[in-house]
Amino acid sequence: MKLERLVRLDRRIIYLLIAVGTLLPILWRIGFPVSPTPPVQALFARLETLGPGDIVLASFDYGPTTAPEITPMARAVLRHCFERRIRVVAIALFPLGGVTMGGEVLGEMAAEYPALRDGEDYVYLGYKDGTQAAMKLMGASFASVFPFSNAGVPVEEIPLMQQVRNYADIDLVVSFSTNVIGEWWANLVNAQFGVPVAVGTTAVWAPKHFAFLDSGQILGLLGGLKGASEYEHLLVAAYPRLEPLYERAGVYTAMKGMDAQTVDHAIIMLFILIGNAAHFWMRRRESARRPG
Amino acid sequence: MFWKLRLPLILTFLVGCVPVVTFFLAERVPGVSIVPTTVERYMVIIAGFALLLGVVNVVQGSVRRIAQRRPGWPFAISLLAGLLVMGSFGVLSALRVGPFQGLLAGPRGEVTPFLWMTRHFFDPLQAAIFSLLAFYIASAAFRAFRVRNLEAALLIIAAFLVMLGRTPLGEYIFRWAPGGERWLPGLTDWFMAVPNTAAQRGVIIGAALGAASLSLRVILGIERSYLGAKER
Repeated sequence: MKLERLVRLDRRIIYLLIAVGTLLPILWRIGFPVSPTPPVQALFARLETLGPGDIVLASFDYGPTTAPEITPMARAVLRHCFERRIRVVAIALFPLGGVTMGGEVLGEMAAEYPALRDGEDYVYLGYKDGTQAAMKLMGASFASVFPFSNAGVPVEEIPLMQQVRNYADIDLVVSFSTNVIGEWWANLVNAQFGVPVAVGTTAVWAPKHFAFLDSGQILGLLGGLKGASEYEHLLVAAYPRLEPLYERAGVYTAMKGMDAQTVDHAIIMLFILIGNAAHFWMRRRESARRPG
Repeated sequence: MFWKLRLPLILTFLVGCVPVVTFFLAERVPGVSIVPTTVERYMVIIAGFALLLGVVNVVQGSVRRIAQRRPGWPFAISLLAGLLVMGSFGVLSALRVGPFQGLLAGPRGEVTPFLWMTRHFFDPLQAAIFSLLAFYIASAAFRAFRVRNLEAALLIIAAFLVMLGRTPLGEYIFRWAPGGERWLPGLTDWFMAVPNTAAQRGVIIGAALGAASLSLRVILGIERSYLGAKER
């Protein structure tokens, strides 16, 4: 292929390769190995210290745009909580679809544990606007921010919420966030109220959270699909009875998604190498042609 | 002049000072903490009205585009249709009118109209739009990632190391060496924990100082762009 044609490669060929690279590993699983990293292990270890008397606040701060990355980690963390009978108070602070993300994921996971009771072992309080104001106000009183659950039940009538007045009654906050909301949990809630915070976020936003991880403002970080796959791997290793749930055909998990992401990364790196190789070769040829 | 400029400036100053002053007084003076809590409660309500303001803005802009037959006006019709349908479904579901009983699945697992629309329209459309980025990134990486100077070379090397280290490929490459499967992932972890953290910290501190400076300018009435007035 001539260099000029290679450098000006039709972008539809690139799109086609990316589409094939994404589709084939999802249809025919490769099964790349997963090695957990310390930020993920930290959150897992913290949840392993919690039990039936403890309460986790799960904040669904993402929408459908980032659901493929964040929903698997939300499912894994909730499964972990329910496996250990940790009680979960779930809220949503993201306006574009957060309320349905939270409700759907919590509902799916709760359905896998029929012995757990809505209102006693978990509750979904729904969405509230004014993100930072709501976060700050929950430090004084949850009931002032969420006077009703998402199902319309007054919080004072919910047995679980009778034990949760404010952050002092929460043992861990886990924010599944798509943007700066995860940072706000760290620099607003952890900094002002001292409640431990962990964040699960997209791969694009994860690098920014390392500063908070290093300062101890967040105790664990799940970064993107890789972080989600690591958490799933840890969960299955610690609770082997969950393995069939992750091996089910037709069910999307982060470990399956990592196959596609790995192939796509390889394709992108290959294109960068090809593009630069062609670019350098053309420059050499032009400088060789130049007189003198 | 008083109603349009001076009164908003006075209100901004008073309301802006409340959280700052009460933050320091809350523990020393009993009963003061009720003030910032009340203000925060007002903020949650006002934030809802800010969303409403956005909706009004979008509707006005779309109606104008349709009326004047500006380029892309059919898309304004589909935008208004989506806004009207999802918005009305949401409001009726929140008020529990007729078949619109709530936003999520019912107690017996029955799918509400709002949830049906979310699952079949909102979620797939949002995910589809965002998924296009993967193709654009791949195309941009091929066309624009050229090593033209030292900085570009460092950027591409770092990008490669992180892309390899954050996928199982990084473990496979040096698997033949004892402990080799941790070389690239370990290097990536170091990148994230040291240079990246240092740079992000600078950005975060800079942004926080900028936000504090802007807040002070707004509270003191120096920054008046939110009133449509020129800076003092």
